[in-house]
Amino acid sequence: MTDTAKVTTVPATSSLASGESTHGFGRGAAYGIAALLAAILLLPVLIGDDFVYHVFITICIFGALSTAWNIVGGYAGQLSLGHAIFYGIGAYAGIILMNMGISPWLGMFVGAAVAVIVAVVISYPCFRLHGAFFALATIAFLEVFRVLALHFRDLTGGATGKMIALKFGWEWMVFREKFPPLAIAFGLMLVTLAIAWWMREHRIGFYLVATRERESAAKAAGVNTVKVRLIAVAVSAALTAFVGTFHAMYLTFIEPSAVFSLPLSIQIAMFALIGGLGTVVGPLLGVVLLVPVSELARGWLGAHAVGLHGFVYGVTLVVFVLFMPNGLMGFLQRFRKQPDAPRAVAAAAAASTANIINEAPPPEKRPPLGNEIMVVENLDKHFGGLHVTNNVSFSLREGEILGLIGPNGAGKTTVFNMLSGFLAQDSGTVKVRGTDGQFHTPLTPTDFAAIGVGRTFQIVQPFAAMTVEENIMVGAFHRHHDAKVAREIARETAHRMGLGPWLNAEARGLTIGGLKRLEVARVMAMQPRVLLLDEVMAGINQTDVRRAIDLMFQIRDSGVSIIAIEHVMQAVMSLSDRVIVLNSGQIIAEGKPHDVVRDPTVVEAYLGKEFVHAQA
Amino acid sequence: MKLSLISKLAIAGLLLSSTAVKADVVFGALYPFSGQLALLGEESARGLEIAVDEINAAGGVQGQKVVLARGDAVDNNQAIGEARRLISIGKVAAIFGTYSSARSIAASQVAEVSGIPYFELGAVADEVTGRNLKYLYRTNPTAEDMAKLIVEMIVTKVGPKLNKKPEELKIGIIYEDSSYGTSVANHQKKYGSEAKLNIVSMQGYPAATVDMSSLVLDLKQRNVDIVLQTSYSNDSVLFLRQANEAGFKPAAIIGGGGGYSMQPTADAVGHDVMEGVLDVDFTQYLVNTSFTPKLEEFVATYKKKYNESPRSGHSLNNYAGALAILQALNKTKGFKPDDILKAAAAVDVAQGTTSVGYGFKFGKNNQNERASMMGMQWQGGKLVTVYPDAAAVAPMKIGGK
Amino acid sequence: MDTFLQVVANGLLLGALFAIVSVGLTLIFGIVKVVNFAHGEFLMVGMYLTYLLTNKLGIHPFATIIAVVPLLLLLGALTQRFLIQPLMNARDDHIQIFATVGLSTALINLALLIFGADIANTPQSGLRVPIQLGPIRVLTGQLCILAASIALVVGMQYFLAKTQTGRAIRAVAQNRAAAQLMGINVNWIYILTFGIGAACVGVASVLIAPLYPTSPNIGTYFVLTAFVVVVLGGLGSIGGAFLGSMVIGLIDSLSGFYISSDLREVAVFGVFLIILILRPSGLFGTRQNLSHVSP
Repeated sequence: MTDTAKVTTVPATSSLASGESTHGFGRGAAYGIAALLAAILLLPVLIGDDFVYHVFITICIFGALSTAWNIVGGYAGQLSLGHAIFYGIGAYAGIILMNMGISPWLGMFVGAAVAVIVAVVISYPCFRLHGAFFALATIAFLEVFRVLALHFRDLTGGATGKMIALKFGWEWMVFREKFPPLAIAFGLMLVTLAIAWWMREHRIGFYLVATRERESAAKAAGVNTVKVRLIAVAVSAALTAFVGTFHAMYLTFIEPSAVFSLPLSIQIAMFALIGGLGTVVGPLLGVVLLVPVSELARGWLGAHAVGLHGFVYGVTLVVFVLFMPNGLMGFLQRFRKQPDAPRAVAAAAAASTANIINEAPPPEKRPPLGNEIMVVENLDKHFGGLHVTNNVSFSLREGEILGLIGPNGAGKTTVFNMLSGFLAQDSGTVKVRGTDGQFHTPLTPTDFAAIGVGRTFQIVQPFAAMTVEENIMVGAFHRHHDAKVAREIARETAHRMGLGPWLNAEARGLTIGGLKRLEVARVMAMQPRVLLLDEVMAGINQTDVRRAIDLMFQIRDSGVSIIAIEHVMQAVMSLSDRVIVLNSGQIIAEGKPHDVVRDPTVVEAYLGKEFVHAQA
Repeated sequence: MKLSLISKLAIAGLLLSSTAVKADVVFGALYPFSGQLALLGEESARGLEIAVDEINAAGGVQGQKVVLARGDAVDNNQAIGEARRLISIGKVAAIFGTYSSARSIAASQVAEVSGIPYFELGAVADEVTGRNLKYLYRTNPTAEDMAKLIVEMIVTKVGPKLNKKPEELKIGIIYEDSSYGTSVANHQKKYGSEAKLNIVSMQGYPAATVDMSSLVLDLKQRNVDIVLQTSYSNDSVLFLRQANEAGFKPAAIIGGGGGYSMQPTADAVGHDVMEGVLDVDFTQYLVNTSFTPKLEEFVATYKKKYNESPRSGHSLNNYAGALAILQALNKTKGFKPDDILKAAAAVDVAQGTTSVGYGFKFGKNNQNERASMMGMQWQGGKLVTVYPDAAAVAPMKIGGK
Repeated sequence: MDTFLQVVANGLLLGALFAIVSVGLTLIFGIVKVVNFAHGEFLMVGMYLTYLLTNKLGIHPFATIIAVVPLLLLLGALTQRFLIQPLMNARDDHIQIFATVGLSTALINLALLIFGADIANTPQSGLRVPIQLGPIRVLTGQLCILAASIALVVGMQYFLAKTQTGRAIRAVAQNRAAAQLMGINVNWIYILTFGIGAACVGVASVLIAPLYPTSPNIGTYFVLTAFVVVVLGGLGSIGGAFLGSMVIGLIDSLSGFYISSDLREVAVFGVFLIILILRPSGLFGTRQNLSHVSP
């Protein structure tokens, strides 16, 4: 842990920690988790008691279910309260096939396949919905499944449920011995944990968290947000169905009300929440803590009075949520050393200046402007009766910096949204020349990102819960699928942007200037060919503006074409090769910066008619 | 590291929590004591407790005092967990239970694998005994017995009183769509068709419903003569009220236990509306005691122990079943599983000698082949037994006759 | 034809029942933006209070409104102040949902502990008397619910539109930060809104208690339907929730009669899902309430 502290104060040493991942665990924590897993497997064997076996099998089952749920509920941030659907599909597939003489080991995969199909079909339309609305939609699907399972008796056995014939042995997943079920449950949990861990450490995990935190920024970073979430749901559903099949074999009996159960869904989510949403081992910790507590409470209180046990359980949940709103993992992290904020800021200021002075390459000779890389033709857009973009046409050449200015409400950001696929134009085209030399007409944000158009947002959109490094990695993943490479690029970019000292700080803690730089750093890490910058200099101080201008020259000289919306005139004048002035959705002037600002129509647009007359 | 310590502590705690007294002979009492089924789970367990008290007062079983270890089967996974806890930590000689069929099915598989006898005293689903289990015995009548008796009652009593042949009677079957309602309804359909009853409508509904007016209208439109409902409390009340308010007055309404046997249902619906409603269930309390000797003693003991009247017949049936088993155990030696099975196999109690009326003898699948239900009718706000004649305390009143 | 009219009438009266339960939920969901899973349990608490007061004091159930409504207002306000408010700025807004799930579990089991699982009967007090209106039969109590739900919806609309407090509540709902800047005490508004939402449930419970037997689980019968209604009506739109209730009541009643009684839930939830996916702003919601939907 001391490493982390050093990193924050001495940026140069941060590369020492390059092998270590940020949300993985320090060595101590890794040993702790290994010990915990070993205990889950060995304790029952040592105690050798049937009931203890059952408790630990239950822990493994819920550990696996919650970990699988966490891929959707935690990583992707989609609060599913319908996960019992997938559990139920696995359970029914296992039992129906077993009664046809097919081993549950095969049935498991059949169940998983069906669960994946169902998951994709029901999630796809629901992804438009956020938070509580997604949760309510999943509850509704769960109710529909439960009622259908009751209704179609021929397949499911209806309300009376389905039982397995007691055939023992490994091929039937039903045992007289105590150890094999524990081994299978433990194995399932281990597989689930491993997959959850793998995802969190790789591109998909970063993409999921980024999508959860800021969907639009993730799209701009080239993330196909629908696709990654569908992958998450599919993986989660398959894992949940595996557990469902095994649990059905373990219970030997299932019924619709017990498997397609809302309380079960809520419980799975609750464990993950109490352990720590979005963390790899949080859900398991929640289960390890709560399952024994609930067993104990039942043993002690259950006999005293009807309802007492449930009352205590409910109150415990409330207290837990109130005092550990970030879950056990959040609670444990408080004991880790936090970056010392004031010192870090001071160091950072020094370091960033130093970086730019030291690392800025000697002024190269500027390469000549190349061919057109982006051509915009006759863009039109209406919002209701408002004509926000009116027949806008312009082009951008390779290595050029194009300034886009205009009064508030002129439609600049709307144009940007159309240049990056966030808004579909009513008519007109946006063509971008690809690396193959041909012009393409990308349509979605993903298309634009793929062809090399990167953008920032006027209102900064950091992935708040991710560290600075992770934020930038999301951009870096666009070109580099390997996490190690992406991390290297992210670090390099961060240092270049003066964000080095904050690599391991959460983005939510940055100042506005820092967030603006982070916004640019994330786009830069995508290694775009065309960069759309939306007011990156607004609200930052003079020194930073000068620094930012230098940075942009550097970027330009590395062969990137830039379109910048900017209000800071100093920057516009010194940066732009060409300026376009937009007013009421129309281009009213275009040309060299100094010519344009003297144009009377431009002055009029900015300052009103009277001012023009007065001047004249 | 910390966490593994916590889990170790938890295990230690779990071991301690099995507070069953050592020495003596321990039996498990596995019922849903919390959750949705808590009320009747608790009621069932009381019957078992009274049986144990009675045996202990008479010197115990084989001279040993009987101690009960409680297990809370709140859901199926818990039923398995608690069965395991009772067997492995509680060291019970046998398990008694369970009221709920689903819990019984789940828990008895554990007992079977562990080779511990399991006595089901109250769960009605066919599947409980339909699995060729060696260690499971059931003392109580089943869903099938209930449906059979209902159809028998219609054919032999209700139909003649209405001057209608079975094929002229229009029957509407409605049931709550969980396991209990569904299995009774399916048997009603099967036996009803065999008896040539004209079943015109068969509809399930979720027990947690707030409106049954559509069902009532459907039955009314089809001019149903006899409604068979299998339901819990809330939906019984809802149906009876809404039927009455919609002006739907079938010649007979026959309930299948559940809400129909509960006094609060009659109080909620109103005694005038409830008048004449029939019910088939376990033996209840207003019954001809020459057919059910010792019933009054049971009620007296119950009142003394719990300071209230029995809330349903579940306690009585659990009591009678448990008593028969415990008395049989007293006649053998030892509490090894095989000893207990041998004792159970030898049980032979004649009909009309027990507090529930039915006798005990285990037949195919270890089901008590002498178990039977009784027909009751709400008369003057009380649930009186009207069928079979030997147990009846009042004649059945149908259509003013 | 008469039967059809009766089915429709039943559907509308059922809709009124859902409406009166949902008004409070709409307010809480639309303004505090919290999915209150304990809403059904508020109803349960209100019904038990009605039952206790009616039986102990021997008064008409409707008279208990003077005690039940303030008590539920207090319950709601306390819930917001001590359960939701501390979690308003939590990292994850799902956490509030689970806090209310915990509250719901605790309340159900508390009722089980105090009253047992038996149904508790509030005296019917002449509210279950059928009235023949042309071809259809309805109950006096159902008509009371219909009238009260309309009155509550109109009253709430008036309160929100015309009074100072009501305008402050709407301001907070539309833009929390701006309202704060204008000197509105946002936390207090939330507490008040939650309280009023719960008080509406108090009104509902007084009207429902004489018609339905009370049990610890009675809230769970209503809560999912109430959510369906609120989402259908459009977030925070009280008038929308009323119309949504009527739609759901009709679907429930018609599908129960013409399709099958055990598939009613499929019809209700199916329609809910289709509308939610195709028209996420709800049947009667406006476009400005689309913060929960991705573009």
